[in-house]
Amino acid sequence: MKRKILAFVLILTLVTSLLLVGCGQKKEEGSGSGSTGERTKITALLKGTESTEQYLVFNYLLKNFCDEKGLDYEIELVNDMQDYFTKLQMYINSNTLPDIYGCPNGTLSQACLDIDALVDVGAELERNGYAEKMNGAVKDFLTDVNDGNLYLFPQGLYCEYFMYRTDIFEEAGIKDTPTTWEEFQEACQKIADIGEIPVVVGGSDAWQLMRYLSFSPWRVTGAEFIQDYQAGTDSFAENESAKYSVNLLADLGTKGYFEPGFASVDYTSACNLFYGGTGAIFYSGSGNIDLADEMYKEGKLGFFPVPDTEGMENMDTNVPIHAGFAEGFNKGTYDETMQEFFDYMCENFSDACYTQAKIFSPFNEELPDGLPQLYYDTQPMFADAKTAWTSWDDKLNSDTLTKIVDAQQNLAQGNITPEKFIENCDALVEK
Amino acid sequence: MQKAFGKKSVIFVFLFPALLIYTALVIVSIIWAGYYSFFDWSGVGDKIFVGLSNYIELFTNDDVFRASVGHTVIYTIINVAIQVFGGLLFAILLSRITKGRVVLQTLYYIPVVISSVAICQIFTKLFSVTPTGIVNQVLSFFSSSFKTMEWISNPSISLYVAAFVEAYKYLGLYMVIFYAALIGVPNELSEAAKIDGATVAQEYLHVRIPYIKPVIIANCLLVLNGSLRSFEFSYLLTHGGPGNSSELMTTYMYKQAFTSMKYGYGSAVAIMIVIICLVVGVLFRKMTGEGKEE
Repeated sequence: MKRKILAFVLILTLVTSLLLVGCGQKKEEGSGSGSTGERTKITALLKGTESTEQYLVFNYLLKNFCDEKGLDYEIELVNDMQDYFTKLQMYINSNTLPDIYGCPNGTLSQACLDIDALVDVGAELERNGYAEKMNGAVKDFLTDVNDGNLYLFPQGLYCEYFMYRTDIFEEAGIKDTPTTWEEFQEACQKIADIGEIPVVVGGSDAWQLMRYLSFSPWRVTGAEFIQDYQAGTDSFAENESAKYSVNLLADLGTKGYFEPGFASVDYTSACNLFYGGTGAIFYSGSGNIDLADEMYKEGKLGFFPVPDTEGMENMDTNVPIHAGFAEGFNKGTYDETMQEFFDYMCENFSDACYTQAKIFSPFNEELPDGLPQLYYDTQPMFADAKTAWTSWDDKLNSDTLTKIVDAQQNLAQGNITPEKFIENCDALVEK
Repeated sequence: MQKAFGKKSVIFVFLFPALLIYTALVIVSIIWAGYYSFFDWSGVGDKIFVGLSNYIELFTNDDVFRASVGHTVIYTIINVAIQVFGGLLFAILLSRITKGRVVLQTLYYIPVVISSVAICQIFTKLFSVTPTGIVNQVLSFFSSSFKTMEWISNPSISLYVAAFVEAYKYLGLYMVIFYAALIGVPNELSEAAKIDGATVAQEYLHVRIPYIKPVIIANCLLVLNGSLRSFEFSYLLTHGGPGNSSELMTTYMYKQAFTSMKYGYGSAVAIMIVIICLVVGVLFRKMTGEGKEE
């Protein structure tokens, strides 16, 4: 009898503990609505950490708005890109997206559109009168390729350019900044000849090497080459600008113009290297103004835009402009409160960009006083730009992108020839 | 109480929750991965049933997968060699000293408790070329060409570097296990060997090491299984690169599923990893006498 009681007590304890564990998790409310249907909270899913721009801007805006309205807000942060995409996919699959979510323009935004989870931001900007104020290139960057609408709100305005060390250029006898890739390589050779590292690159981050691969096709064809390549109607072998860029990356890598061991240097380390005094040229941009400010003020740094591809017709825009990661607004939870927040966000976005995140606002508004000088000096380069940067990350499908990323590293390291690279990459897409 | 624990039903009650959780987390996941492997699915949208296409592609067209299997084998051999046999060597050396043994034991064990991410960061800095890391700085005293020697970014050696870093982390763990086993060898056996005229090397070779053979086999199996499924060191140090030079089956599976967004294909790779692990595990147990003690 005692044994039976003991066994019974054990089973009871086990079942109770399992039940308690199960009941311990409170079910989260996805839409942030109370039991009466009235909104009590705004939820957001953003990529990054508490020190990244998207968080700084939205935390500032949500905090002020929610304090005013007596609402709660919750920002979920995922730092790693792949983890973020996985998380976003989970939300898309279960149709439980938060009110605001970071989303790049491409496959994932299309998946959100497929489940009708994206507000037409373009229409909302027309409604509140901010459409005209938005930078043309930023709008172009986020415009949906299928229907031409704007479904995503920019994270900010990012412009990219080359920063160079004026003292090293002077020592190497380079009088003018390079305007063509041929001049760029000549400058690299002169810098190498005086024993300096010509170009610092964060080669372990895929986008850094990919920029060199995409500069020439972008300047010559805009988004056309990469879209046609993905569609199977163009190829590296057939497109002269693409072929040019393949040879350019191979030359820069194999002639020793990149820093030794560049393939294991990530972008953050590359930033630290360059702004710490190593190397003569670094592909940087408005995201690094804070790092560059001191040296720029002392006259040690200068900047120049993306060089032309010689022998081909280049577009006027020579400064890559993009909108960062962008944010979508969940159409399923877009109620009056969210619309109010949208208007509040547009009104205060520039303020948040300049005071919190130290990035350019996507709205063409006068720059406030007191910013680092580089803001004022670089702004004229993109103020009237209408053509956005074409990011290959967004345009290529994930599988092709992954394979090109592996191949470009081999190309830059000289493990494969440009011909082999072209052959391999052209085989990735079906004609 | 003792009688209650002797009853099968009571033992079952205690084992059941673990079995349930294991089934839910491992077996069900494998079954799901098997199910997904028959589909072409990007993770969002509709799944398209493709039958065995993913497996056919894997076996017939996928050079990277074949290379990753080869890399995994090399990776595993290096890890078994360093973790098991290096661990055993360190344990033997530790068992021969008394002064400072605890300090050395603790020092060797420290990497085990440091997270893999931190270890990889440390080695990334140590092997750095620009700025020159400690390894190249020290080597450059012997030859200036070592100053620009690439480790992590050199496709010829990146796989070995990743394997070495994992082996370095876990060496201390197996050293401690072997040390515990070695000090458990009855003194009478060693004394008898010494009386018979055995040298120290002979004593270890013919008495102590054969005595702890089951521990060696168990550790081999653990390292074998761990290395075949190893992911973080290759991924964090080299991202499987440069190119695919240090691609392991697991990093390839991750890239296929989460970077290339080919969940079906990634699941097929995952199923192959499970099968390879099972086959290697079973073969190893067969080779080592079904794990029975002699």
